[in-house]
Amino acid sequence: MDGLAAYVVRRLLFLPVTLLIVSFATFCITRWGPGDPISVYSGQYRDPEAFERVRHQYGLDRSIPEQYGIWLKDVVLHGDFGPSFRFRDRDIPEIIGPKIWVSFRLSIYAFFLTFLIGIPIGVIAAVKQGSWLDPFLISVFLFFQSVPALVTVPIMVLIFAAKLHWLPPGGFDGMFSTSMVIPTLALSLPGIAGIARLARATTLGTLGADFVRTARAKGIAEFDVITRHVVRNSVVPVMTTVVGLSLVGLIEGALFTETLLGINGIGRFAFESVNTRDYNVVLAIVLLGATAFVFANLLVDLALVVVDPRIRAGRPQ
Amino acid sequence: MSSKLTIAAGAVAAGLIIVLAVVLILVVGGGGGGDKGSATGDTRTPTTSPADNGPAGSGELRLRGPDPLVLDPAVAQDADSATYIVEIFSGLVRLDRDLKVQPDLAASWDVSPDGKTYTFHLNPKATFHDGRPVTAEDIKYSFQRALAPETASVVAENFLGDIAGAKDVSRGRATEISGLKVIDDQTISLTLDQPKAYFLYKLTYPTAFVVDQRQIQANPKRWTQKPNGTGPFKLKEWRLGERIVLEAYNNNVLGAPKLQKITFELQGGSALVDYQDGNIDATGVGLDDLQRVQDPSDKLHAEYQQAPRMSIDYIGFNTTTKPFDDPKVRQAFAMAVDRQKIAEVVLQGAAPIANGILMPGVPGHTDDDKTLPYDPARAKQLLSESKYGSDIGQVTLALSGAGATAGPYDEALVQMWRDNLGVDVQIQQAESGTFFQDIDQGRYQMFHIGWIMDYPDPEDVLDVLFYSKSRQNSTRYTNPEIDAKLERARVEQDTEKRLTIYRDVEKQLLNDAAWIPMFFDTAHVLVKPYVKNFVVPPLVVERYRDVEVTR
Repeated sequence: MDGLAAYVVRRLLFLPVTLLIVSFATFCITRWGPGDPISVYSGQYRDPEAFERVRHQYGLDRSIPEQYGIWLKDVVLHGDFGPSFRFRDRDIPEIIGPKIWVSFRLSIYAFFLTFLIGIPIGVIAAVKQGSWLDPFLISVFLFFQSVPALVTVPIMVLIFAAKLHWLPPGGFDGMFSTSMVIPTLALSLPGIAGIARLARATTLGTLGADFVRTARAKGIAEFDVITRHVVRNSVVPVMTTVVGLSLVGLIEGALFTETLLGINGIGRFAFESVNTRDYNVVLAIVLLGATAFVFANLLVDLALVVVDPRIRAGRPQ
Repeated sequence: MSSKLTIAAGAVAAGLIIVLAVVLILVVGGGGGGDKGSATGDTRTPTTSPADNGPAGSGELRLRGPDPLVLDPAVAQDADSATYIVEIFSGLVRLDRDLKVQPDLAASWDVSPDGKTYTFHLNPKATFHDGRPVTAEDIKYSFQRALAPETASVVAENFLGDIAGAKDVSRGRATEISGLKVIDDQTISLTLDQPKAYFLYKLTYPTAFVVDQRQIQANPKRWTQKPNGTGPFKLKEWRLGERIVLEAYNNNVLGAPKLQKITFELQGGSALVDYQDGNIDATGVGLDDLQRVQDPSDKLHAEYQQAPRMSIDYIGFNTTTKPFDDPKVRQAFAMAVDRQKIAEVVLQGAAPIANGILMPGVPGHTDDDKTLPYDPARAKQLLSESKYGSDIGQVTLALSGAGATAGPYDEALVQMWRDNLGVDVQIQQAESGTFFQDIDQGRYQMFHIGWIMDYPDPEDVLDVLFYSKSRQNSTRYTNPEIDAKLERARVEQDTEKRLTIYRDVEKQLLNDAAWIPMFFDTAHVLVKPYVKNFVVPPLVVERYRDVEVTR
């Protein structure tokens, strides 16, 4: 496995380069854009001279490359991501850490549910191709995919919270509480159709393969043919890729669901931070997302090696 | 308190759900009428009887609370943060729930005959939460810290800048406020640059609250997570974005609060559902549920209260750009708006029509309607008499928000201008990040916005927003006659004469149509019957001290 280890090291060595590029781009985009955090923060107090003094205090009156240099130095040498212009009492990791943790726990059921429902639905649809079941299943889940959280969440709140009082109207009380039901449904239902269609397509592709015919010819039970030969060879590798990308979604949070249910997750917070020009917070969230993306992709590559022996990491195929 | 980016349009939910901010949804705020507090002319105010430290309170109040940004009184300027700051900290003087200036850490004060020097006598019973007595040096430290450039406060100069030499500190030219003198441990005097009738009000604002020097120097970055304040409640727990718990400080200078504990949940879905489920003891009511709770046959009706807020929703004109540099065009636009109809149809009676600029409770407010009447025929005539005739070119109304549609309120305005004047007004929505800045820079022709009073004095709206050299003059209104009157009112020591000047200024501004005043803000709340003395004051002032929960 020397080749694999070298591959991982090489990929990880690229991480700082990636982050440097992402951070510089984000830094410039946020600071060049219209508006500035001091002005937004001041609300109805419009005192340009006071704004200037505060900007100077934060070094916002320096040139962008100079500001970036200072920021980079603080991050690298002190692990300090700079001040939040809104939450002045706290450090940035302290502000976003709990929110990421909330979003992560909020979406973890949905993450598994999407695959646990989506993959079997797709495989069943493929196997039952030509019967009524195939278009029926796909249509049902396409319907859920087409209805955004902006619609499903208020309807679920209206029925289950306001009318029936079975569930709380929002908030987050931990993973083992009824407050998880609405967000889990809202976050998983739209994703199922996508996974199901992908699983259906790859299954169909494999169903006609020679080794499947051979397996059937050997007299293996149809159920075993599907689960051992078809799914293992087609669905799993493709899904691994999708899972990797979805992993990033776990820490990015869900803007609409979090907003509508009054949950202080990172999705909603990132949106607020952009709106209020809290530059350093936006930057920290973007960098975290980029890091997660790099690691998720790495994990996917490694997982593929495990599930598909034909793939050799780091070597052209 | 301000920084409410909203009033005219708070955009939640990715800007797709427009909250009509005329209806205040959060349970924040302060109480009733209130006139001029203590007039500056008289000397020595009576020492109220503080601290007959009655029996400590019991009971817990559970509320949904806004998410505060900072709990440092020197830098906070948003209503959400102030909600907690006014309970945890306190200053020399306070506004009570009726917005009268009352003794707090200072038991009494004298004003010099020229109205320029205030001498405060601290209450010997005033202590920090850790029991240490509050001294004049603490006041001095707190004021100087608030002004110091390193503190980076955008509001410090606004509220402390009237003290002689304060601006030298905020601009880094001095470290000591020359107009502030510590006479002894219990006595401090403040000398102003000019006699200002509203000065005591400014001291009721968080910027002038007392903080603990020892704590801040020992822990400069994190002290606000467990601040050693002087207010009636201690901060027991602050979990960012989740929960804030306040606990009674029984040795508060004005006596022990009647509550033992207040829990604010900072997150959650529909507060009304939570209220009905009995998880919270009071909640604000949004526009969507208002009709229901106002219906006497609804079971929630008995728990419903409404209270006026000292803020106003208005349409502002940029009086220096085409076509609104001609007062006739402004008057025409004002007279073409049927506010009665918007009140009934769109707002469903949630907020009273503004009968002027000064809100009820602000000294100088009168009950008669001082605004231009709805008169489409006259409006049309005025427009044709204007220097632009009926060809006024492109007109755009700017709003804060990011929704797919602007919402029925602004759509109704556009419709009325089209029907009554034949003018097609475009709506431009700007996200809050640029809205205020664009107004500062005069980029809009007219804008829909609000103003929230910081203290109950007409100066805080008429002078701050319409004095030609004011930095906050967003309409760019310039009128030498009004400037002269405003300057006179600032230093006028006779309350009645002063208010007469302000009423006159208000009338003139309305006739000149610098604004179209739309609605006064109103808070709508539901309070459980077992909660006593729960009021929503018109401003964010300390308000939970007297609340009792008898569950």
